[in-house]
Amino acid sequence: MRAKRVQTQPPAAPGVHPRRWWSFRPVSDRQAGDAIVSNFLLHWFPAKSFKASMAWSYSFWLGTISAALLFLLVLSGLPLLFLYIPSVERAYASVKDIEYVITFGSWIRAVHRVSAHLMVAAVFLHLVRVFLTGAYKNGVGQGQRRQWNWVLGVAMLLLTLFLSFTGYLLPWDQLAFWAVTVGTNIASSVPFIGPAVRELLIGGREIEQATLIRFYVLHVLFLPMAIGMLFAYHMWRVRKDGGLARTDSARLAEEKAEAPPSKSKTYTLLGIARGTAPQIRTSTLEARDTTVNSVPDLTRRIAIVILGTIAAVGILAVFVRSPLEEPANPLITPNPAKAPWYFLWLQEIVTDTTVRIGSFTVNGAFLGGVLLPGVLLALMTLWPWLDRSPAGAAGLWFAQSRRRQNVVFLILVAAVLILTVIGTFLRGPYWHFYWPWQPWPELPSRI
Amino acid sequence: MEHRTDSPYPKKDRPILAIVGVLLVVSTVLFAWSDRKHDWRYYQYAFKGQVAEKFGAEQAGTIPRGVQQIWVSEMRRADRCITCHQATLWKGFENAENPFKTHLPEPLKAHPIEQFGCTSCHGGQGWAIDAAAAHGPVEHWEEPLLGSQLGEAYTLSADKTALMQMNCNVCHRFDRETPGADEINLAKRLVLDKGCRACHVINDRGGTIGPDLTWVGDKAPEQYEYGRLSGQKSAFAWHVAHFKDPRALVPETVMPNFHLTTREAQALAMLTLSWRRAPIPADYRPGLPRTDPQTPEEVAEEQRMKTGPGAWFVKTGCFVCHSVASLGVKSPAQIGPDLSTAVEDTQARFGRTIDDFLREPTGTMAVVLSRQIVLTPQEKAVAVQKLREAFAEHQKQKAEGTRPEAGGH
Repeated sequence: MRAKRVQTQPPAAPGVHPRRWWSFRPVSDRQAGDAIVSNFLLHWFPAKSFKASMAWSYSFWLGTISAALLFLLVLSGLPLLFLYIPSVERAYASVKDIEYVITFGSWIRAVHRVSAHLMVAAVFLHLVRVFLTGAYKNGVGQGQRRQWNWVLGVAMLLLTLFLSFTGYLLPWDQLAFWAVTVGTNIASSVPFIGPAVRELLIGGREIEQATLIRFYVLHVLFLPMAIGMLFAYHMWRVRKDGGLARTDSARLAEEKAEAPPSKSKTYTLLGIARGTAPQIRTSTLEARDTTVNSVPDLTRRIAIVILGTIAAVGILAVFVRSPLEEPANPLITPNPAKAPWYFLWLQEIVTDTTVRIGSFTVNGAFLGGVLLPGVLLALMTLWPWLDRSPAGAAGLWFAQSRRRQNVVFLILVAAVLILTVIGTFLRGPYWHFYWPWQPWPELPSRI
Repeated sequence: MEHRTDSPYPKKDRPILAIVGVLLVVSTVLFAWSDRKHDWRYYQYAFKGQVAEKFGAEQAGTIPRGVQQIWVSEMRRADRCITCHQATLWKGFENAENPFKTHLPEPLKAHPIEQFGCTSCHGGQGWAIDAAAAHGPVEHWEEPLLGSQLGEAYTLSADKTALMQMNCNVCHRFDRETPGADEINLAKRLVLDKGCRACHVINDRGGTIGPDLTWVGDKAPEQYEYGRLSGQKSAFAWHVAHFKDPRALVPETVMPNFHLTTREAQALAMLTLSWRRAPIPADYRPGLPRTDPQTPEEVAEEQRMKTGPGAWFVKTGCFVCHSVASLGVKSPAQIGPDLSTAVEDTQARFGRTIDDFLREPTGTMAVVLSRQIVLTPQEKAVAVQKLREAFAEHQKQKAEGTRPEAGGH
């Protein structure tokens, strides 16, 4: 359906908005701006968007993709909430029912699972993009605190991982039980407090009903709530910081080839923005070759990304089956017992740093499971304050002044990815190495 | 005049958005299709046709449509086999091919389908509604259908469908012999003949040289050592090979080679795998002791009463409520009056002779004698005679002053 073209009436009185409706096909810039002011869902966008920020090749829209996946997860989680039973006696059977007899059940569960895995990947890639473009750096705008938005992002990555990890246990099959066993055992290798941490996490000393209800409530209530609040804060900070870091580098380039200053207009967004945000300076507002109206050009792209993500996940979910293994059995450890894939680089380090000298074993769980990820996480969180490169490097892919840190970062990312691939695809029974063309030993069956 | 800034985006982005729209339609069609493409729709359609052909359209109209299941709450089983196997309880399809075949009526008499479902006997995955997942063998499901296909894969010496007897014996493990479970019966005889209990505990009885076998069927397939087993790696194959030549699989074992035939080894493997703690309600297991044991004194007392002068009252069941103190019968409950003085009592209480009272009893005795202890006129005459004897004995003991204490109200 085509949106109706609406003719603009001049305001009846100052401060009174002339129309209750707005158009996706505005006839004027003013009407385009009307959409932002009068639509609740659009009010968090600027009236004008930088072309440079909207380029596919700058951000790859990874943040929007992550948000779309989060939206899909909430949406597909709602029907599962009605069908899944968080009890050790019934959880497995209820998931079997979802898989086999609930109308669209197996597709809904596959959407949930595929989105969850993709979200871990998308959020991680988003973080990589932000690092490589130096987008956690403050540029030329006033009141920018991009370093804090980076910290929020790191927190959201951790929440995403924890959300996925808590969801892993819920089907109560062998995969779930042993992935959580491996994960929580790594946590217990923290010196002194480790065992207590594990006990707090699983609500006792064994993975049982207490663990299931704990993970369930975290998974369906607290963690989604936390990630939702951080998401809102993350978006708000993006506006407060004057949009993507790309706008700052674009503005710097523009100032070098400075045109004569034009009349200056200052907008404050509902009175909450301090100072003048760069994207609404008159000079940029009037610079028609660098900006476009957010409605409909930005909204159209957002629609492409969100709907495209939904379509891709919807199609993938038809073909990617969500496996359900044997019912959880604490007495039988599957061989190999693997953590969720995004923790496999850690499990790989744990096994590689576990050294056996004769009968003496140095357990690598502390080094690989606690110390190394802890140091990496701390470094990552603090990096915006450690990065001393000039403001001009903000929002530029592979800026000259940040070359060395980008190289080190890429090496670390490559190491994590390679270890993840090894752990996921190349490790077989007893954690022995198998090339993809080498068959694993035949798994025994009962009959 | 207000104007709108030119934008380069619509030209490129609109076609992309259109493609995304098409993809959304494709995804909708795909998932709707994937939810509908199940073979059971065809089977239900075909069965309906067969019934219509054989019994008319009206009968065919009574066949339920959609996914069907038997829910056995005692065993927490939801068996959806009847979604395709709709002929299970229909008469007239005895010679048809599966899934359109009538179930053999004999086993269902003792094992009603509502109480046992399908998978507790046949194996398979009751939750599933597609043949591959329901019948197996399929990854991540350890209980495949115990049918002739699997029997052929194992080249069973006996009837190819015999593997199912494993599941019979999960409940029937305490039976000496179970009708219809020939292989299991053979294996149970072998357990006795070969003296397995010399070394192994089975059902809490036996030697401790070998491992306890009471629940050996619960051992996971991963817990066997397959290093020396050639061919298929499964717990069943392991047991068959092990029974034939224990030392070939476990070199250090002291278990002797009994030189069993293939059939015997397979039967024993089925028996051992059936010894499992399946989640079955207690009353599904025949042979479980369901009485609280009596003390030796109680057993001796009962034996004495059964052979003493009051044996008739014990045998007939009077003693459940009544003592007959003069004849040494003591009721465990003592709900009714002592029958030693019944001849007097009926006169005193009802104003009737004992013959008359027994012929047309009133009150509680009317209920008991019409339902629980039904006596023919001849038996009633015997009862009167016995009661008179008891009264005579009572009076004799009273005269001698040796009347034993007896309860009664």
